[in-house]
Amino acid sequence: MGRLRMLIDSLSHPRVTEKYPYEPIPIPEDFRGKPEIDPEKCIGCAACARVCPPNAITFRDDHEQGYRVLQVFLGRCIFCGRCQDSCPVGAIKLTKEFELVSLSKDDLYQVVKLELAKCVRCGKYTVPYRYIKYLMEKGPKILKYELLLCPECKSEVTTLIKYHYAQEVHE
Amino acid sequence: MVDVLKKSIWVFHLNSGSCNGCDIEVLDVFTPRPDFERFGVKLVPSPRHADAIALTGPITRAMVPKVVEAIKALPEPKIVLAIGACACGGGIWHDTYVVVGGIDEFYKILKEEYGMDPPTTIYIPGCPAKPEALIYAAGILADIIKQKQRRREDVIREEDEEKRKIETIIREEIGSRHFLPKIIVKRGPREGSV
Repeated sequence: MGRLRMLIDSLSHPRVTEKYPYEPIPIPEDFRGKPEIDPEKCIGCAACARVCPPNAITFRDDHEQGYRVLQVFLGRCIFCGRCQDSCPVGAIKLTKEFELVSLSKDDLYQVVKLELAKCVRCGKYTVPYRYIKYLMEKGPKILKYELLLCPECKSEVTTLIKYHYAQEVHE
Repeated sequence: MVDVLKKSIWVFHLNSGSCNGCDIEVLDVFTPRPDFERFGVKLVPSPRHADAIALTGPITRAMVPKVVEAIKALPEPKIVLAIGACACGGGIWHDTYVVVGGIDEFYKILKEEYGMDPPTTIYIPGCPAKPEALIYAAGILADIIKQKQRRREDVIREEDEEKRKIETIIREEIGSRHFLPKIIVKRGPREGSV
């Protein structure tokens, strides 16, 4: 009798196996999938690269061609979502995409190149134009005059102006 | 590359220093709900019986000779499924001293020290990889699904007008320095100096 009951039980239950590769599966609402940078919104501040625990997002400044290169390597990403939390403009978002399987490592990269501005004093490349624009709108006002200067010129100019000004006051 | 798998794929599961997250997903994918076995995938206890190695973990230095042995024992054509962030690119441990840091770093060692060509590799990212991602990989191997993930590269150049606008505003700012704080330098003889 025990076996008959087992047979009846198993026949009365529906099929549990998902038909996944042939049909899409439901994904939970707060699922954290592939992080994607929206190149139209990104300002190139590299806040995401700073907070990324496994350094899946990296950035470097290409001083020869004048680009800031942001690179997302999905193979190393742990989908923690800290990049999304730290982005000031909401350019990087975790999508619900999880079908990231690929046969080559190259396919796992997303690269965003942003044009760099030139220092008005010495002509070296400094920070992306987008970043300057963002700081002009939302940054502190006192910083405005040094936005288009490279770090070396910035410190020099600041010292010069302050010294000059101080001298004037003294006289 | 893909027409290797006209028959069922047998997999040898190799843990190379993983946190067991991916290993549990590998076991989970054989349960009735995802049911990996409907693609003919089966776990075998020896790499000599297997078609592919399911590699998890960032490959610790102590595991390198063992992984090499397993890959040597694997019959041709050799296939490696790199499961999880650690196996794909080193994950959170990519720059730690005790691990090799992902399968690509391992292939460099394989080439230099053992003189072997790297086997066909399938990257399955995720921390841990979803069971559905493993099924997707099997689907790619069995030629049921096409690979969706592609490299994306965007180059953003600003328009000249925008540039000029920013530069004029900032040049004007440089010209006026009314916002600078007042600093008064006292130019008397210092205390203690002659």
